[in-house]
Amino acid sequence: MLVSLFEIFKAFFKIGAILLGGGYVIVPIMNDELVKKRNWLSSDEVLDYYCVSQCLSGIIAINMAILVGYKLRKTRGAFVSLLAMTLSPFISIMLIANAIELITNIPFIESVFYGVNIAVIVLIYLAIKDIWNKSIVDKLSALWFLLIFLLSVLKINPVILILASILSGIVLQKIKDIKNAKC
Amino acid sequence: MQNVSFLLFFEFIKIGLFTFGGGYASLPFLYRISEIYNWYSYSELTQMIAISGLTPGPIGLNMSTFAGFKTLGITGALIAGVGLILPMFVITTQVFRIYRKFSDNKYVNSILYFLRPTSCALITYVGYKLVYSLILKNSFSLANIDLKALFILLILFICTLKIGRNPVKYMAIGACISLLINYIKL
Repeated sequence: MLVSLFEIFKAFFKIGAILLGGGYVIVPIMNDELVKKRNWLSSDEVLDYYCVSQCLSGIIAINMAILVGYKLRKTRGAFVSLLAMTLSPFISIMLIANAIELITNIPFIESVFYGVNIAVIVLIYLAIKDIWNKSIVDKLSALWFLLIFLLSVLKINPVILILASILSGIVLQKIKDIKNAKC
Repeated sequence: MQNVSFLLFFEFIKIGLFTFGGGYASLPFLYRISEIYNWYSYSELTQMIAISGLTPGPIGLNMSTFAGFKTLGITGALIAGVGLILPMFVITTQVFRIYRKFSDNKYVNSILYFLRPTSCALITYVGYKLVYSLILKNSFSLANIDLKALFILLILFICTLKIGRNPVKYMAIGACISLLINYIKL
């Protein structure tokens, strides 16, 4: 039986509203909302979608929403899940962004943000730590990390660095293929 | 104005297209925007990161809509949001049909082998710039170090051993220490 677009909207509106604290919590939330409560997909599929979304460009949680929506109702389903998922974050950011402009000059709030901004350093450190183990796996990847960091310090556009990485990946695989063919 | 909305749209399509590896991976691009255009300052960007972590929704989307809002108000937020999402919508719906083969593909894996350290290095660079501006106060002299900021940072680093990765907790602790120092005049 087809899941109605309205049902998809309701489910993803809720997921967008309760998702807090980065993309990592999306897997347990989808397991709760989509696998256990609605039985729209299996928990294996959730994990599969998570793996694919990590390989794709963009935001992991949103890519996962698009994949689930597409599975349920093709392009229209993907569009609805995407729209529903982004709606409440968008509204909350608009409300908060407006409010922030009004209160930032109050000394108390300034002091709060002084501390909060320093916490951001720690959050970035935690984000780096999370991907570090997956990304620095051998000497070449460590060397590549250093090279990209140095090029960033020299203010090279990150787009160029990303494109160079994609190209290097393709070239390395081609070289491996040629070597294997010779053996 | 029209020119800015076009540029904004284009910049966020770029972010949607070239961000790999989670919410914080869009930071290098947002940082670069603040450097090239005068749409928002670096300290405003720091505030955006904090608020995006406290607001429901994926952090990458929150930061982008916030940055768009800073640039052109609600219109800007819409332009940034749509720009960010558009490449994902196109690519991900196309990938669905081949997704079982996709993550096993040797080219995909070889590309990711390079992309992962790249994302990691780009985020590290933003972290370094943040330490440079908040703790070192934009110079490498010891006299300029903000000791209060350094103190809060050290306590928060000790906290990472205990409280996992919930961003709200770190921001709450950071805010509390800052208030304590300010109002009790330690």
